[in-house]
Amino acid sequence: MAQHEGEASPRVQYPLNSEAYRILDEIGVGVSAIVYKAECLPMNSALVAIKSIDLDQSRADLDSVLREVKTMSLLSHPNILRAHCSFAVDHRLWVVMPFMSAGSLQSIIGSSFPDGLPEPCIAIVLKETLNALSYLHDQGHLHRDIKAGNILVDSTGTVKLADFGVSALIYESNTSSGTSGSSSSSSLMLTEVTGTPYWMAPEVIHSHTGYSLKADIWSFGITALELAHGRPPLSHLPPSKSLVMKITKRFRFSDYEQSRSEQSPKFSKSFKDMVASCLDQDPSKRPSADKLLKHPFFKNCKNSEFLVNKVLSGLASVEQRFKESKIRRSLSIKNTDDDGDEEENEESSMGEIIKQRRISGWNFKEDVLELDPVFPSETETLSPPRRQVRFAAEPIIRDPSNESSSDNPGSSSQSVEGVQELHDEHTNEHAGSLAVAVPEGTQLSAQIGVSLAHLDRDGVVRMLRGLTRSLYDQRRAVGLMLTILTGQEEVSREDQLLQENERLKMELEQEKKKTSEMEMEMEFLSLQISRGSTSAASRQSGE
Amino acid sequence: MKGLFKSKPRTPVEVVRQTRDLLIYANRSSDTRESKREEKMSELSKLIRELKSILYGNSEAEPQAEACCQLTQEFFKENTLRLLITCLPKLNLETRKDATQVVANLQRQQVHSRLIASDYLEANIDLMDVLISGYDNTDMALHYGAMLRECIRHQTVARYVLESAHMKKFFDYIQLPNFDIAADAAATFKELLTRHKSTVAEFLSKNYDWFFAEYNSKLLESTNYITRRQAVKLLGDILLDRSNSVVMTRYVSSRDNLRILMNLLRESSKSIQIEAFHVFKLFAANQNKPPDIVSILVANKSKLLRLFADFKTEKEDEQFEADKAQVVREIAALEPRDRP
Repeated sequence: MAQHEGEASPRVQYPLNSEAYRILDEIGVGVSAIVYKAECLPMNSALVAIKSIDLDQSRADLDSVLREVKTMSLLSHPNILRAHCSFAVDHRLWVVMPFMSAGSLQSIIGSSFPDGLPEPCIAIVLKETLNALSYLHDQGHLHRDIKAGNILVDSTGTVKLADFGVSALIYESNTSSGTSGSSSSSSLMLTEVTGTPYWMAPEVIHSHTGYSLKADIWSFGITALELAHGRPPLSHLPPSKSLVMKITKRFRFSDYEQSRSEQSPKFSKSFKDMVASCLDQDPSKRPSADKLLKHPFFKNCKNSEFLVNKVLSGLASVEQRFKESKIRRSLSIKNTDDDGDEEENEESSMGEIIKQRRISGWNFKEDVLELDPVFPSETETLSPPRRQVRFAAEPIIRDPSNESSSDNPGSSSQSVEGVQELHDEHTNEHAGSLAVAVPEGTQLSAQIGVSLAHLDRDGVVRMLRGLTRSLYDQRRAVGLMLTILTGQEEVSREDQLLQENERLKMELEQEKKKTSEMEMEMEFLSLQISRGSTSAASRQSGE
Repeated sequence: MKGLFKSKPRTPVEVVRQTRDLLIYANRSSDTRESKREEKMSELSKLIRELKSILYGNSEAEPQAEACCQLTQEFFKENTLRLLITCLPKLNLETRKDATQVVANLQRQQVHSRLIASDYLEANIDLMDVLISGYDNTDMALHYGAMLRECIRHQTVARYVLESAHMKKFFDYIQLPNFDIAADAAATFKELLTRHKSTVAEFLSKNYDWFFAEYNSKLLESTNYITRRQAVKLLGDILLDRSNSVVMTRYVSSRDNLRILMNLLRESSKSIQIEAFHVFKLFAANQNKPPDIVSILVANKSKLLRLFADFKTEKEDEQFEADKAQVVREIAALEPRDRP
C-alpha cells in the first residue's frame, strides 16, 4: 500500500484543551501568530511546538482559515510537518505540531553558517524539500512560501517542510483588506486564489497547475541560493538608489557595499545547473519537482546523519537563537533610519523574514551562482502584494533590451512590468499611474453574481471576473501604448485619485511603522539599561 | 502511471467495473491471505486514482467529455457509490482523498444533460445518513464531510438532510473540539442553509421555533469564540437573503433575539461586533417594531448611541457607514411610548 499510510492511520490523538500543555518558551513571532515550545503533560511531557493564531486580530476571512486548516490536516508525508491537532482557545487557534528541535534552516544559517552551508548539506536539505514539494504538487496544492525559514530540522536530521499556509493566508488577506471595498469582495478574491481544487472545474485546476506550481519551483531555486550564500540573493546592487536601499534593508544586507564576487565559494557545475533551471524566467521551462529530483545534483546525496554531524552539532537551542535574533533585530532597527517599509517578521519560524518571492525580475549569473534582481519595482517590495501578484507577475515579458542592463533598467521596462502586475493594488509613485483597481471590479461582478443567484452562480462570477480583468488588461495595454507613442503618461482621473490614495496610505503605514520601531527601540534600550553591564546580553534572557 | 497506461489501456467502463469488483472484495470479510489482500487493495488504490485522472485529467492530458460520460454512466448503473462510501474506512489516506475527489466530480457530470448522480442519490438517500455520521468519527469526518457537501448541491438531497433528524446534530458537530472537523461541519451547515434558497426558506418557516431556539442558545450564546463568530455571520447571511424575508421579519420581532444580538454587539471582538451589527440593524430598521422591541431600544438608547459613535470597521466601508447612520437616526428618533 502507499507508503504514507503507516504514518497516517494510527494517528495519536493529542489532547484538545490548552490545560494539557505547558508553554516553555517563545520560539517565533508573527503578525498574528506566536509559536511556542511546549510540553504535552498527559503524554509524558513530550515536546511540541504550538502555533497560536489570533483569529480576531487577523481580520481574515475565517472561512479561508478553516479551509486551509482542513487541507493541512489531510496532508501526510515524512517531509511535511503535519499538525498533531488544532483547537480553539478563546479567540485564538492553537495548532499543535511536532517540535523540530534544530529549528529552521534560516535560523541555523543565521547562527552558525553566515556564509552558507557546505554543498553536500545543501543537497540533503533540498532533496528532502523536493520530496515534500513533489507530494504537495501531486495533490494539487501549492506551498506558496518555500524558503529556508520554512524548512525545519529535528535532532535526528529529519528535514520537514513546514506548511505555514494558515499564517500566510491570514497575512495576505490582512494586507489586501486595506484596499478592497467590502468584506464580501475580499473573500471572493481569496476564494479564487486559495480555493482547493476539489471544488474547481477541471480546467480551473489545470490553469492552476499550469503556472502557479512553477512559482513554488522558483522559490525553491531562491531557497537554494539562500542556503548556498547564507542569505537570499541581492548583491551587486547600486546602493545609491533608494529603492534598492529599501530592498537591501529588507534583506538585511548590512554588507551590500562589499563586492562578494571574489570570495564567493566554488560550487559544483551540477548545483549551478540545477538552480539555473529553477530560475528560468519562463515558468513552463522550469522543471517540475519530480523532474528536479532526478537531477544529477541529487545523486549520491548523503544521509541525515551527515547533516547531524556537519550542521547540528554545537548548535544553540532554538529558543536561544530566537532570543538572539530578537536582539539582533532591535539592533538593526536602530541602524536603519528612514526604513519605513520594513515589516515585522510575519513568519513565525525563527526571526527575520525574507521575501525573496516578492521580486519578480532577476538576472541569474550561473557562473558565480548569483542572482540579481533585474528590476523589482517598488510595488513588489514596498508593500506586500496580494497573492495574485505573484501569479500575474510570474510570466514576465521582458523587453530584450533590458536584459543586458539589469542594474539600471530604463523606464520602459518599468512600464512593461507595471502591465504585468495587473492585480496589484499597492502601487506607488513609479508604477502607480498604471495601476488598476481590481477590487472594484470584483465587487461589481460579485454583485452581479448575487443577483443572478439562481443561475450557476460560481460559474457566472468566475466568468465575469475574468471579463473584468481582461477589460482592465486591455485598458492598461492601450494606456501603455499611448504612453509610448505620445511620450506622455495618460493618467485618468480615477487613476490619479487612486494613486494619491495609495500614496497617503503608504505614508500612514510608514508613520505607523516608524512609531512601532521607535517603541521597540525604546524597549530594547530600557532592556539594555536594566541589564546594566556589557557582557553576554544574549544569555540573560527573560526572567 | 505512464507505464500503467501503456501496458493495459483500460476503457473508463472497465476501470469502473474493476473498481467495483475490488470494492466488493474489500467489503467482504478479510480472511483471505494477507498478502493477497494487500495486493488487491493496492490495485484498488491505483484504480481509484485512474478514475480521478480520467475525470480531472492529468499533467499530460485534459479530461475527455466522452470518457467522463461513460465513466459516470457505468458508475451509477450499479451501486458503486454505496460500495465506495462503505469501503472508504478500509482505504489508505491518499486513496480516500482520491475517492473523495472522484465522488465530488461525479456530482457534476451530466449524462444526456441530466445529473444522474442526483437520481441515484434520490434512490439511495440513506447514504446521507452514513456521510453525516462521519462527523462522529475523527478519521472519516473530513472525507465524508467533503463528499456530503458535494451531494447537497442537489436540491432534493439538501432537502432530505434539512428535514432529517440529523439537522439537530449539526449544532453539536460545529462545536466539536477538533478544530478541523468542527470547521468542516460548519461549512456543511452553512451550505445547507444558504445554497438552495426556496428549500431553505421553506425549512426555516416550518421549523422556526426549534431551529432558532437552538441557534440562539447553542451557537450565538456558545462559549466558543469561533462558533459565535461563524454563527452571527451566518445569521446575517440568512436573514439578509430576500428569500427569507418572512423569517427575518419574525426574527427581528422577538425581544429575546434582540437581547442576544445586543450582547454580541458588546463583545470585545471587533469581528463579532461588526457581524452582530449587520443583524442588529434589521431590528432597528424594522418599520413595524413591536412595543417591547421599542422599549428595549429606548431603554438602551444612550448606550447604543454612544457605542455607535465610535463604531468603525477596520477599513472604510461606505455601506457600513450608511447603515450605521440610518440605525443611529432610527434609534435617536425613538420616544418612550405614552402609557395608555
